[in-house]
Amino acid sequence: MSDAGLAPGAAALGEVAAGAARDAPNGRRRLGRTGREAAVGYLFVLPAMAIFAVFVFYPLLRTFWLGFFRVAPYPTIPSKFVGLSQYKSVLTSHDFWASLGRTVEFVILTVPIGILLGVGLATLADARIRGIRFFRTLYSSTVATSVAVASVIFFTLLNPTVGLFSYWLGIEGGNGILQSNTWALPAVATVTVWQNIGFTFILMSAALQAIPQDLLEAARIDGAGGRRRFWRVTLPLLSPTVFFAGVVGIIASFQAFGQIDLLTQGGPDNHTMVLIYYLYTSFQNNDFGTASVLATALFFILLAVTLVQFRFIERRVFYG
Amino acid sequence: MDARDSRIGLGELAVAEPSRLAFEGVTKRFGDVVAVDDLTLEVEPGESLVLLGPSGCGKSTALRIMAGLETPTAGVVRIGDRVVNDVDPKDRDVAMVFQSYALYPHLNVRRNIEFPLRSRHVPADERDRLVATTAQSLGLETLLDRKPAQLSGGQRQRVALARAIVRHPRAFLMDEPLSNLDARLRTEMRAELAELHLRLGVTVLYVTHDQVEAMTMGQRIAILRDGALQQVDAPRTVHDRPANAFVAGFIGSPPMNILAGRVDTTDGTAEVVVDGGSIPLGPAAAAALRQRGLPDVTVGVRPEHLRADPAGTLKVTVALAEYLGHEQHLGCRLPGGGLLTVRLPGTRSALGPGDAVTLAVEGDPHLFDPVDGNRIDV
Repeated sequence: MSDAGLAPGAAALGEVAAGAARDAPNGRRRLGRTGREAAVGYLFVLPAMAIFAVFVFYPLLRTFWLGFFRVAPYPTIPSKFVGLSQYKSVLTSHDFWASLGRTVEFVILTVPIGILLGVGLATLADARIRGIRFFRTLYSSTVATSVAVASVIFFTLLNPTVGLFSYWLGIEGGNGILQSNTWALPAVATVTVWQNIGFTFILMSAALQAIPQDLLEAARIDGAGGRRRFWRVTLPLLSPTVFFAGVVGIIASFQAFGQIDLLTQGGPDNHTMVLIYYLYTSFQNNDFGTASVLATALFFILLAVTLVQFRFIERRVFYG
Repeated sequence: MDARDSRIGLGELAVAEPSRLAFEGVTKRFGDVVAVDDLTLEVEPGESLVLLGPSGCGKSTALRIMAGLETPTAGVVRIGDRVVNDVDPKDRDVAMVFQSYALYPHLNVRRNIEFPLRSRHVPADERDRLVATTAQSLGLETLLDRKPAQLSGGQRQRVALARAIVRHPRAFLMDEPLSNLDARLRTEMRAELAELHLRLGVTVLYVTHDQVEAMTMGQRIAILRDGALQQVDAPRTVHDRPANAFVAGFIGSPPMNILAGRVDTTDGTAEVVVDGGSIPLGPAAAAALRQRGLPDVTVGVRPEHLRADPAGTLKVTVALAEYLGHEQHLGCRLPGGGLLTVRLPGTRSALGPGDAVTLAVEGDPHLFDPVDGNRIDV
């Protein structure tokens, strides 16, 4: 084993280990520096892995396993091992596909609009004008609001008899928005967008501030007007953040639960019955088997969506 | 014209009509800070003028005012005959090269060079032709598909230049374009830039804090201090006849020795007494000081104008010696405690710390008013 091929830093780092190796008996010397360094590395990762194992990996595997058991409607009767048949019946059911459809609709209603608003507001708030700090605080304030608080505020605003929105829309006293088959999902999506806007705004503002001023000045001198500067310089440099917001936003929307539980409980007539809420209802009905199958499905769907994003969309992203 | 036409393919790179640039009484304040103080300065068409000064002297602000990136608080800015105070940068038709190069990191070299052409809706075939010619003249043909991150510092610098040259601007503004390069590359690029200027015959306003860059790049040098113009002259004049003690101390390496002195004409010969030694004055200098009538004076002596000479008038002790290969610098202590830098050509002198030497001054020293620092003309 020679130091010749190693970078000087690595060589210096390895000197202690090499010294130890020389003193050690033959057998241990063969294990080599790489193996020992790897062992030290794993040691550092161990605490995190332990926590993940207990709270993530074990529940994940356990959920997958529970999907093989059909739970009887009465607590006294034991669950029965049914193999893959439950996976098959749940994943081919109308309820599953309907809830998946609602979920996709919900994602489409929340993620692109949320990102557009985030980029838009951040671009506006990037202006150097008096009092802009007030607006920056305002735009980011929803980050300090919980889903529950946001839901309660909108629940009141959307109330068919006393809600301001109903009054403004001229439908007070009639059917509420949250009770409308057509408008319930867009309403829940609106609450979600509103609640997430603070986070997206902060992300985009940070990304905007990281764009070197030189580049925008160079573009100005190169003859680019405001619009061209935005499309050709600002936006490409924001793309990693937009991509990140997209991935995180899609995952969050797939898992959006609080606002649906507080505003519609999946209704009216299952029109806001997204996958996660369907899972929750099954769970509430003590149908752990179905709930486990749905949870597993949700996991693989998110995994697939994220992989697709990284595989195809990330190519269009510029990392500095 | 000859310089332009002598090179193949460069004729069409040349700007048809380089423009005059002018600051007329320009002031820029940021709150209470005066960055540029009543600056009046002209860059002639086709001239290369260097704005030189220490950090924070307002040189970059002045350049940014010319580019339109800053608005002057007072005064008039002209490009050609046109007052451009209220003209947007994109309509000023000047090109700027930034210290950071400011290349668009997400675009390859070709798209970077094209950017100003696309902004101005130059047709595709014309664009391709211009990019090809420019890339060729700067040796970038093989790099056109690379991203800036895949280029070396010198290559990035060339791309930034190409982006500036490609659109035939009325003038080039350069903001410390060589500061991010290592010493060797800087020397190379300096020569290239000087040659480029000669070749293209364009107007260049060049900002730097590096006096060597200023001396080599500028047909004239404008020295700024605290936003105020100190002197505008050809490099040789700035060096040989600095307008004041600040310019004298700023130009030249190692810097000029500047000492407080007192004129003595008691024994018939005129000399300036400094810190336990004296510097003899020629008849003209003596006459100028006599006419002034005040005994106090600031004297400046360049390190290269001091030499070891037993018949000299400054008895000093060597405090430190620096060997640079082609020359050596000695730090010498005067009896009064002041330090004199001496520059000796070659490395043969065996002088070291602790040695006693007698120094003589070649020619007349520079003389400055001790109050306002202005040069006393002889």
